[in-house]
Amino acid sequence: MPRLLIVEDDDRIRLSLRLALEDEGYVVRDVSTAEEGLAEHKSTPADLVLVDLMLPGMDGFDCIRSLRRLGDVPIVVVSARDDTHDVVAALEAGADDYVVKPVAVKELSARLRALRRRASGSGEDAPKVLRFGEIELRPEAGEVLLGDEQVHLTRTEFRLLCELADQSGRVLSRQQLLDRVWGYDVYGDERLVDVHMGRLRRKVERDPANPAHLVTVRGLGYKLAP
Amino acid sequence: MSRLGLRARITAVFALGALALSASLAFATYQLTRESLLDERERAAVRAAYLDAAFIRTGLGGEDPDISAALQNLDTGELRRPLVRRDGQFFARTADDGLTSSIPAALQRLVDEGTPAVQRVPLRDSSAIVVGVPLPAVEASYYEVSPLTELERTFGVLATVLGLVALVTTVAGASTGWLISRRVLRPLAQVADAAGTIASGDFTARVARDNDPDLDKLAVSFNRMVDEVSARSEADRRFAADVSHELRSPLQTLSAATSVLDRRRDELDDRTAAAVDLLTDEVARFETLVTDLLELAKSDRPAERRPTDVVALTRALLASRGLPPEVLETTCGSAVLDVDPRRFEQVLANLVDNAAKHGGGAVRVGLGVENDRLVLEVDDEGAGVPADERELVFDRFARGRASSMRGGSDGTGLGLALVAQHVLAHRGTVAVLDRPGGGARFRVELPGEAP
Repeated sequence: MPRLLIVEDDDRIRLSLRLALEDEGYVVRDVSTAEEGLAEHKSTPADLVLVDLMLPGMDGFDCIRSLRRLGDVPIVVVSARDDTHDVVAALEAGADDYVVKPVAVKELSARLRALRRRASGSGEDAPKVLRFGEIELRPEAGEVLLGDEQVHLTRTEFRLLCELADQSGRVLSRQQLLDRVWGYDVYGDERLVDVHMGRLRRKVERDPANPAHLVTVRGLGYKLAP
Repeated sequence: MSRLGLRARITAVFALGALALSASLAFATYQLTRESLLDERERAAVRAAYLDAAFIRTGLGGEDPDISAALQNLDTGELRRPLVRRDGQFFARTADDGLTSSIPAALQRLVDEGTPAVQRVPLRDSSAIVVGVPLPAVEASYYEVSPLTELERTFGVLATVLGLVALVTTVAGASTGWLISRRVLRPLAQVADAAGTIASGDFTARVARDNDPDLDKLAVSFNRMVDEVSARSEADRRFAADVSHELRSPLQTLSAATSVLDRRRDELDDRTAAAVDLLTDEVARFETLVTDLLELAKSDRPAERRPTDVVALTRALLASRGLPPEVLETTCGSAVLDVDPRRFEQVLANLVDNAAKHGGGAVRVGLGVENDRLVLEVDDEGAGVPADERELVFDRFARGRASSMRGGSDGTGLGLALVAQHVLAHRGTVAVLDRPGGGARFRVELPGEAP
């Protein structure tokens, strides 16, 4: 059973989410501060983390950054703030997904399942090695090399790169990428795609401002140019 | 009638001023020069005429004088034309070519009465000076006609030159006005730029201070105004964020807690299960209401436009609402337009949901581009909207009479108000029409680019 860590300072929300998500089949641990959350994750790594942004002491953004430094555990922000500024900042810090309160347990659970699904590997029958200029992608091994150097990608970034590589040269719309990477079946938040694409570019492009491979097609989406 | 811009008006005023000044100076110069030249010419003509008259008088002095010979002997140069009048008859050197008729009768009378006279008269297409000298000693009068053709030509040249000078001065005046107005209006242009930036939501824009104390006052007061507006807007934003947080947090607890109850619905007795159903439905409705209200509260912010494939977006949304793809009727294949994708999606979702609640479901969603405007139509086959309710349906918490008769009360009453707000943020329009064949048609038009 997947282990879920909830970092939320509101006792009632924490308890209700815990009860509801335990019903959905998760083993839930919950803490009320970022510091406790980090300690908890270090001692017993979780499979998924839910983080609130407004926390006493260390805030949610720093919590996400610290978690990210520890590994690539999927992180979902559950916040009452819906400003573009907050969404982008949280995703930039390393969150994989962002939902605004109140979120229905069904939807939250669907999103967590989608993150779990791709976190547990996607290497169906993909070729062993794919090359795009200096970028070398090994879908099965879950490795990416830029030149000779190994690049560390989060699972979401890796999944994004794999989906684009799978359709190399073709344009994928933000909506298609949301469907394939985040598993959304409704119209979702395109900012998720844009921010993750920015982070991916900074890791695998020599000049992220003028990407050679991860190209934006104005108004349509993105493609991976060989 | 559209008024001219300030800059055009300043330029016009400068041009008109320069024109008036240069034209009056040119006119005065012309008149003074003309008068003094004419006077001088007149004096010269009178002097010459008296000399010539003296000569003629001598020539006519003897018995039975030969007037023609006297005239022929007269040295008048090329221009002056001598005439002698005696016994009511004119004598000239050459055949009369209208010269005699150019001498006015009044002048002749004066001379006949013994008064010397001088007058400017028109002569053919020019003018001339006529000098009349009575010669009582020989019972005749002497006239001399000096054409002013050459002088008139000089005046013509002078007028042309002065006209050109006036024209050049006017153009120079207009250019000066244009340059000065640019200098004067530059602070206004800066203020306009800053105001534009601020209107688009960037409160960091300020107007640079100016060395000129008059202009600096404008910059300072403008910047102070921006500071205050920015502070107030920030306070509003913080308040909205606080309200949003305070409303969303307990709803999250309610939502998660009811889902725990709902999951155990089958284990509950009928009465409790009915209560749980009520609770679940109302919490869901309350959630939508709060989300819509918060959305409405911030819907006056400018639309975040960016290139969006509206057809793909519409397809995805219709699929998510379980509508068959044939419902979408598009004339534009794939259309990439500058709209706010989140808001466009809400407009579409709310119209489709409205059709589902009050019109038995959307039967057609039309998407097209007409004159650079995105046109979205959502048709249903319901009872339609009565003419007197067509404005009201876009009000907050308005619910159609037709729908309340059908007992539909599951909406928040904010869906169409949100549609109207989002459309307004795009500077577009939304209206309810009759669908051909019965039902309602909601028609949204959005300009593709921010104007």
